Amino acid sequence: MTGATVEDLLRQLAPQVLSALVRRYGHFDTAEDAVQEALLAAAVQWPREGVPDSPRGWLITVASRRLTDLLRREQARRRREDDLARWTLPEQWLAPPADQPAAAGDDTLVLLLLCCHPALDPAAQIALTLRAVGGLSTAEIARAFLVPEATMARRISRAKQRIKASSFPFGLPSPGDRPARLATLLHVLYLIFTEGYSTTAGASLQRADLAAEAIRLARLAHRLLPEDTEAAGLLALMLLTDARRPARTGPHGDLIPMAEQDRSLWHTASIAEGVALVTDVLPRGATGPYQLQAAIAALHDEAPTAEATDWPQILALYQLLLRISDNPIVRLNHAVAVAMVHGPHAALDLIDPLYANQHLVDHRLHAIRGHLLEMAGDHTSARDAYLTAARQATSLPQQRYLHARADKLSPAGE
Amino acid sequence: MKYMILLYGSQRDYDALAGRSSADTPTWSADEVAALYAFMASWNQELVESGEFVDARGLAAPVHARRIQLRDGVPVVTDGPYAESEEVLAGYTIVECDSFDRATEIAARLAKTPHPPAAGRGREFYADVRPIDEGAAPEG
Repeated sequence: MTGATVEDLLRQLAPQVLSALVRRYGHFDTAEDAVQEALLAAAVQWPREGVPDSPRGWLITVASRRLTDLLRREQARRRREDDLARWTLPEQWLAPPADQPAAAGDDTLVLLLLCCHPALDPAAQIALTLRAVGGLSTAEIARAFLVPEATMARRISRAKQRIKASSFPFGLPSPGDRPARLATLLHVLYLIFTEGYSTTAGASLQRADLAAEAIRLARLAHRLLPEDTEAAGLLALMLLTDARRPARTGPHGDLIPMAEQDRSLWHTASIAEGVALVTDVLPRGATGPYQLQAAIAALHDEAPTAEATDWPQILALYQLLLRISDNPIVRLNHAVAVAMVHGPHAALDLIDPLYANQHLVDHRLHAIRGHLLEMAGDHTSARDAYLTAARQATSLPQQRYLHARADKLSPAGE
Repeated sequence: MKYMILLYGSQRDYDALAGRSSADTPTWSADEVAALYAFMASWNQELVESGEFVDARGLAAPVHARRIQLRDGVPVVTDGPYAESEEVLAGYTIVECDSFDRATEIAARLAKTPHPPAAGRGREFYADVRPIDEGAAPEG
């Protein structure tokens, strides 16, 4: 078996092994270290000596042994410190009570929810999820977020300490907490995706593919929560957005707006999967923001040309989205849909009030205003808006795109 | 021993790279920007492969800078404190290598950085190499 396939297998097993250990022995923080060491041992041994008959069993055994060592060391240290606290060592541990069946899927869900606990800040939730459930190493996560490894290690260990200190029970949340906890979980996966998606080609040379990792985790969440329409919606949204990635940048890393993208480059398998997911969940009711955004993405992806886009349908979906999740970015996108259906003037009226909240919108507000003014034929104001947007943007591809738009509107001879 | 290689640029240089046309500065074409990126990436990759690479960062345009300074004992924030033509830190690369001379050699390779024929008028290429004082680093 090659190194790459072993790695895939290990990453798939990582959350199962960790949740099995925590379910049996507790000690989330120490168990997480033990599992990382077991994964490392497997990554070295398996490609050389072959994959054991039961890879999951092998990892649980090795990780349990390691956990015992770590807890013993901790216990000895505590004894030296005259601390009366005693740990339950794995060999003293008895079978779980019969009323607590440990289904592997449930355990992974519990683990995901624990990593995305609302007591942790988003940066900690993301790091812990990628390590404990995604099975990425601290070094890989650090590279993905462009921070030093020591910083990421601190972030992860602080998060683990926090979980340990607050002694959250290792179990599913109460029915009352469940919706909010699941919403946080999906939001964390969404943040991982957007972090990966916004990376431009030039900067991605040494970065793990976070968008692909987010899709893998969203797929897992959808499998664990087959009845949750928002989990399905989130997976669909990621697939339908990521499908356009090959066409989003030109050969030089320059940004290409959707209307000008070469649609033959779009990933048809992802589109088909995303569309199937949305089509399946939308009629089930309880429509949430991820499903609506996925439905909008599906309409874009299914249009054979930019001109053939079903803008009236997209506008109707944005109106629904505004009702349940009103924020400046949704308003901007809604305004674009209004412009495509009712013309640029109606849209300009909608975005003008957003200037009061400019800090929430950044350069995108000016860029979209530029597009709307250009549509309306006011080239002088459009050019000014593009130039203002370029000044506010910090990424070079965005700046070059906006300057190019401005240049096209330059009066002849300038 | 670790060394920092520092590169400088003005707001005007950034604008040219970002394609902002103006009367006196020619802008970079997409091909020219791509050539610059390819050159920097291969320079960087050689350092990764030789095991000398430590860290590298590029800074956003000087117009995004904020300066905090005390005035009459009160910290005051100024946006965009630099003049258009003022050359300020644009990015750095940290290398770990055997000698100051080796770090200098690495930095000197940047003198071949491609640029449009007309751009960069008014000044020749330069970069600084400075040893990092590791004795003063706090305990990790």
